[in-house]
Amino acid sequence: MSGPTTEGRSRSATAAAGIEFLHGIRQGVEAGLDPLAAAEGAASALPRSLRQSLTRMAARLQGEYHEDDWGFDEEFAEAAYPFFEFLYDRWWRVRAVGAANVPAHGRAMLVANHAGALFPFDAAMITGAIMKEHPLPRWPRFMVLDWAFSLPFLAPFMRKVGGVPASPYNASRVLEGDDLMMVFPEGAKGTGKLFGERYQLQRFGRGGFVEIALRTRSPIVPIAVVGSEEIYPMIADAAVVARAIGAPFVPITPTFPLLGPLGLIPLPSRWRIEFCEPIDISAYPPEAAEDRRVVFELSERVRETIQGKLHENLVARGPAFG
Amino acid sequence: MPDGRRIAIAGIAGHWGTELARRLARDPAVEQIFGLDTRAPEADLERTEMIEVDIRSPVLSRLLPSTGVDTVVHCGILWYPEPGKPARALHDINLIGTLQLLAACEKTETVERVVVRGSSAIYGCEPAGPSFFSEEMARSFPLRTRFQRDIGELEAYFENFARRHPALSCCMLRYQPEIGPDLPTPLSRYLALPVVPTQLGFDPHLQMLHEADANEALRVATMRPVRGAVNVAPSGSISLTRALRIAGRTELPIPHPMFGLALSRLGRRLGIGDLYGDAVRLLRYGRGVDNRRLREELGFEPRYDSVAAVRDFAKRGAGRRLTPVPDLVSALTRLVEVPR
Repeated sequence: MSGPTTEGRSRSATAAAGIEFLHGIRQGVEAGLDPLAAAEGAASALPRSLRQSLTRMAARLQGEYHEDDWGFDEEFAEAAYPFFEFLYDRWWRVRAVGAANVPAHGRAMLVANHAGALFPFDAAMITGAIMKEHPLPRWPRFMVLDWAFSLPFLAPFMRKVGGVPASPYNASRVLEGDDLMMVFPEGAKGTGKLFGERYQLQRFGRGGFVEIALRTRSPIVPIAVVGSEEIYPMIADAAVVARAIGAPFVPITPTFPLLGPLGLIPLPSRWRIEFCEPIDISAYPPEAAEDRRVVFELSERVRETIQGKLHENLVARGPAFG
Repeated sequence: MPDGRRIAIAGIAGHWGTELARRLARDPAVEQIFGLDTRAPEADLERTEMIEVDIRSPVLSRLLPSTGVDTVVHCGILWYPEPGKPARALHDINLIGTLQLLAACEKTETVERVVVRGSSAIYGCEPAGPSFFSEEMARSFPLRTRFQRDIGELEAYFENFARRHPALSCCMLRYQPEIGPDLPTPLSRYLALPVVPTQLGFDPHLQMLHEADANEALRVATMRPVRGAVNVAPSGSISLTRALRIAGRTELPIPHPMFGLALSRLGRRLGIGDLYGDAVRLLRYGRGVDNRRLREELGFEPRYDSVAAVRDFAKRGAGRRLTPVPDLVSALTRLVEVPR
């Protein structure tokens, strides 16, 4: 059976159900019922899946849904998933390697390079890679620059899809809850770098992520993301504007702010994501978190692993566009 | 009977002071309760001796020693104006009152424990903050509102007092805002509005403490205080949107720069005035605190978590719905469930 005919058949079935539903309402109203009662009677014609999603909607309007301590809302994330799936499959044609290196159970810290000036699409695509390629998929949480949580609309959206304000306490708490915590140690220095510096890892802060991993006994999974640097090629930083609005940087790309909102559409580069072997930290005692030497050593090891994999994957990917 | 506890409650005419006295009166381990306030509480309290005194006045230092109390509970810290305690006087009542009360405790040789019913406002409402503040994270952000600065100053006095009197156990309770359908608190009244103004594009995560847990935690802390600060909060958190949906209220999103003005207009009608400036930030960024110390060290397990507290609030206040939304929802539910 070929795809289009199945699709066409199911579409005509939905249309038929819709027509039957409207027909039922009309019959009910003609029989003297009020429109609402008529609609109730006619609803039996609706397909089961539609009835179910209406039930879910009614439940959500009454507050019957689950949020975790950080506001992650799995139903919401699943509803937003098709959009990110489109970006993953069609727009950026992501190839993910080694997703099985992410532990299937328990806590783990995912450490990745950070790029893409305007929106953490890299976090979304790593999430997509885990959800699509991992044998036991689960939703990771990711650290979001705190500034985003002071912005209307963006703040609740980030929370609902798994964003957590970037604070070491939050990271520890997520890991203590045996979840996956995705961090970007480069922070705003990574996202706000110019196009000429692409794929050159910035300083990894003060190694705070290693301290947290040591203290919570979480393995570290380095991740190299290739492709995210080309989606918004940043040619300059409007530092004056950034200072005025309190943002860490304001990117100027060939299309933004020149084309206005259209300039926010990311360019369709080709992506590769590689999950590296987890770094086992169980050999170190939790007190090692106080030892600067150990922390810097591990931090540097993670950084070098990611930098090496970035070069490998850049070669494997070939040209960014096309 | 030398074994029974002798307890003084400052601010007994307020809601929480009265409730505490009522609970303690039922406890056989309590010998005598003294209530300090400028006016008599509305309810009749048994086994409670009223002492009419303004806690801001130095007379307190002469009166308190004569009572021979072993525990002093300070319920007189105000978040918002109350009858007879106007907005202008809050700063004085909160700061000078606490100072005088602590001075009186110093003069009273029998005192062994001092418990202050404070506020978690000291942590602030910060978009960049930890989602759950633990006790040692106080003052990690600048104190932004008048009330926050008052609480900060007051806690500094109290810490200093505790340091100078190592023999006393001094306990600072940091309360998250309480809710209950009949509670005279601004947040409860806010949630009870038929149409609730919210800030467009923001959905703060809140911890709203069930009034029964608020009362019981204070009783437990009075009978067995621990040293230092303790967060009093339910477990978990809930988003404002979800809380309003559970309560069956209609949201009215207002662009956030105008929200403060709208709330103060509304505030005057609700009797909370402009002063509740903390509410604007609370309802924009939210605030969560860690209640591990409450559960493990103080040994009090809140009966309601954040979601259950809102559900109970909605259930007990159910008769007061005015909104069309629940009807829409029930119609939708009927629409899909009947024909199965």
